[in-house]
Amino acid sequence: MSPTRITSLLSVGALALASLVSPARAEETVKVGVLHSLSGTMAISETSLRDVLLFTFDEINAKGGVLGKKIEPVVVDGASNWPLFAEKAKQLLEQDKVAVTFGCWTSVSRKSVLPVYEKNNGLLFYPVQYEGEEESKNVAYTAEAVNQQATPAVDYLLAQGVKKFYLLGSDYVYPQTTNLVLLEYLLSKGVPIENIGGGFRKDASGKIISAGKYTPFGHTDYQQIVAEIKQFSAGGGAAVVSTLNGDTNVPFFKEYAASGLTAESCPVVSFSISEDEFRGLPADKLVGQLGCWTYFQSIKSPANKKFVADFQAWLGKSTVPGIVKDGRVTCSPMVLSYDGVYLWKACVEKAGSFDVDKVREAWKSGVSFDGPGGKVTTQPNMHLTKNVFIGETKSDGQFKILKSFDNVYGEPWLKGKFKK
Amino acid sequence: MRKTFIILSAFVAGFVAAFAETPQALIARAAVAKSEQAQGAILTELMGNADESILPLFDAWRKDRLFLYENPGKPTVAVLLEGAKDAQGAQTAVDVATGKALAVRLAADDLNAAAHSANLRRIMKAILDLTDLSSANPAKKLGAIAAIGQGQQIEKLPALEKRLAVETDPQAIKALREALALVRLRSPDAATKLAALKELESLQSLASTDFLKALIKDAEAAKDEKLLAAARSALQAVERHRTVVDFGGTMFRSLSLGSILIIVALGLAITFGLMGVINMAHGEMIAIGAYTTYVVQNLFANGLALSPFGFSVSIPGLHATGWWRESYFLFALPLSFLVAAGAGILLERGVIRFLYRRPLESLLATWGVSLLLQQLLRLTFGANNVQVGSPSFLSGNWIVGDVLLGWNRVFVIGFATLIVVGVWLVLTRTSVGLLIRSVTQNRTMAACMGVRTERVNMLTFALGSGLAGLAGAFLSQIGNVGPSLGQSYVVDSFMVVVVGGVGDLVGTVISGLGIGAFDQFTQQYSPAVAGALANVPFVGGALQNLAQDSAVFGKILVLCVIILFLQWRPSGLFAARSRSLD
Repeated sequence: MSPTRITSLLSVGALALASLVSPARAEETVKVGVLHSLSGTMAISETSLRDVLLFTFDEINAKGGVLGKKIEPVVVDGASNWPLFAEKAKQLLEQDKVAVTFGCWTSVSRKSVLPVYEKNNGLLFYPVQYEGEEESKNVAYTAEAVNQQATPAVDYLLAQGVKKFYLLGSDYVYPQTTNLVLLEYLLSKGVPIENIGGGFRKDASGKIISAGKYTPFGHTDYQQIVAEIKQFSAGGGAAVVSTLNGDTNVPFFKEYAASGLTAESCPVVSFSISEDEFRGLPADKLVGQLGCWTYFQSIKSPANKKFVADFQAWLGKSTVPGIVKDGRVTCSPMVLSYDGVYLWKACVEKAGSFDVDKVREAWKSGVSFDGPGGKVTTQPNMHLTKNVFIGETKSDGQFKILKSFDNVYGEPWLKGKFKK
Repeated sequence: MRKTFIILSAFVAGFVAAFAETPQALIARAAVAKSEQAQGAILTELMGNADESILPLFDAWRKDRLFLYENPGKPTVAVLLEGAKDAQGAQTAVDVATGKALAVRLAADDLNAAAHSANLRRIMKAILDLTDLSSANPAKKLGAIAAIGQGQQIEKLPALEKRLAVETDPQAIKALREALALVRLRSPDAATKLAALKELESLQSLASTDFLKALIKDAEAAKDEKLLAAARSALQAVERHRTVVDFGGTMFRSLSLGSILIIVALGLAITFGLMGVINMAHGEMIAIGAYTTYVVQNLFANGLALSPFGFSVSIPGLHATGWWRESYFLFALPLSFLVAAGAGILLERGVIRFLYRRPLESLLATWGVSLLLQQLLRLTFGANNVQVGSPSFLSGNWIVGDVLLGWNRVFVIGFATLIVVGVWLVLTRTSVGLLIRSVTQNRTMAACMGVRTERVNMLTFALGSGLAGLAGAFLSQIGNVGPSLGQSYVVDSFMVVVVGGVGDLVGTVISGLGIGAFDQFTQQYSPAVAGALANVPFVGGALQNLAQDSAVFGKILVLCVIILFLQWRPSGLFAARSRSLD
């Protein structure tokens, strides 16, 4: 036997061995991508989502995984850098070949990775309230659509006898689009246009292209705006609808309180402040102000109690480097991430395959999961039907639930939908 | 005859007492009612009732201390828990409706508190408002008067009139007249309406705008010319008054923003303006001051846990509460100065003294230091913003002629004046100031005269840094405290110093006030100006849209004006003329 022959035989044997071993190994795990900012400005919010995702994977793996396979998370850092998000998404899909990705917070990061998912026919689960006007077959929107947050909140205020609405937001796509939808909605409810504060921008033909007052990220001087709100609300029956983001809420609410405005004289309903954001806000200045989400930590259901307790226990034992263990709370984006993983599991099990097309078919056929915020059901338009809650801020940074709307259908296309 | 009447009336009173529901029973019935609407309807029956038992019960309800005892098979009972807790945490349960104790003892943890939405609280407030009309607390009284006026319920007129007859406080009298006029707008009698409009016109009541507009609409529909004319003239008077208020408010806000700019820039005016060090770490000195305030606040309360280091610091035995706790801010002010000054000395000794004649290198080095300090703050206190509470003496406001003067803003203005005067005195009236001025004007000559320039440099830098620390203590009262706090102010600081003219404190003060005023006036008036120019072809519409984002527009305009200004006067408002600077 010539040496070449021996080597070739050996290599054949090795190949055979490898082919025996590797399918067995591949069957053990399924790769799942986690694409969040773990550094940069968004890290404060997005790290919480990574934590809850890792917790969910551990919980599912402990019960045998998905279709008998353990979930193997591939965690990448988008670093609050939108082009980098697209690169990382490409790496997840083309290099790691993940079955599904859970990720993104800001709308701009989602828009940045969208072409990558559409080109590679990947599947992204997106968990954070967003402005709608989008429906990709490659994104599963577990997030709140505008009609699952903004319009129920306005309904609640209208029922409370509010007649005037001041629209205020940070200057980017989510507040701009939400306020335009809200403007149409308020007009359709018979609120006259002069009772909507904050001002309008019009294009050359006189069509309104932007409604409300906007301030840039990191704005600190709210004196003039609060003085304007004070005059706006002088006759009573007014409320502020705020889509101010992140830490600009601090100078706004400090100024608001110092001007003598209160939750009783002119309530503020904020769409961007959840329990997690509260960790950096002066809670005493916000008592009585309103929030609207599809989950609050204060929901008194056994499923939620178990979720909160299990998550805290997992945090206590966690060995993830740099994880924050003190003072952690749960909030809507976290629960929608958690729900997303279980819905994906349910879809995979219904389809009997990890194939994206089959999983999508299962999603469109309607799959339900009883999550911490109640039952969620997938819809053919890639969104979720879920319960919506209106809550009032308490001094401990939690919400007291005032009203709930059950099984609200997620509707992304709202512009032009509400007519007088 | 008289006797029978008395007997009869006593009988009627007894009858009413026996059969009419007491306020307590009514509140109990509302608490257990199923829907929020029903609760609201029941509570509304209390309107005008001045019974003393209402306030404590509403208080208990609003503070989640009114509990529902759900006894299976029997109607739910509204209870208050009183007396000492026993081993199981149970207390005596008192039935609200009857005022009698129940046989069972109950624990708060096992019971649900009666729910209350904002709407219910508003109804409770409306009921209490009537009682609050005679409240000793002026803010409460004014709130109650305004709420009744906005409600426009004609049946509440007598209560207001009664109060007006005995009221002595001028502010309350004005509010009462305003409320009376607003309610009378709903009067069926035309003469009363006209009189009310005259009253609103003379009061120039801003709160009446919406009501006047609604009235004008109604009058137009009803073609009531007389009413329409009166309402229009009242509205005009109100709008005239509004322009005055807006102007006054803008002046005040300009002053307060200007003061903040002066406070943050004053330290830099010394380190950059006088010493010529381009100190990019100036912002971090501000952040150090803000964090010092945070630490002092927590030391006064319950101590501070520094989780990255795994221990917490506290002053043993000091768990201050109330007034004593709020006074933390007065201690934080000097401390933030000292800590930032200390950091400044370290920075000067460690880095800057080697770079005095090399401005570019000092820029790079201090920028590095700034990044280092930011990361250090992030490691010590976490990446999240920390919360610094405002003491109550900084969180109220005065209203002078409808112009709102926030106490925090008044304090900032006063404080800015104080430190500007203080720094000016130090520089011009003390021997240290003389040394500082001589070294900054001509270092070599000063050294020849026997001045220990090294030491003077160190002290000057410490003074500048300390002032930045003071600024930080202030900013903690109006904005965020986070590791990147300094970054958001360092650009503003440089802007103020450069426009003011490097090397002159007066320039810094004037440019701070000027930039503040320019920013606030643009914010206030750009929509109006753009509105007036709306019909100008090509630019009108675009200008209007730009002006809509007045907060951003103001900033952009400020920067444009500064660029143009520096083209005209490259060395700022007050250029220091000295051969050594050339």
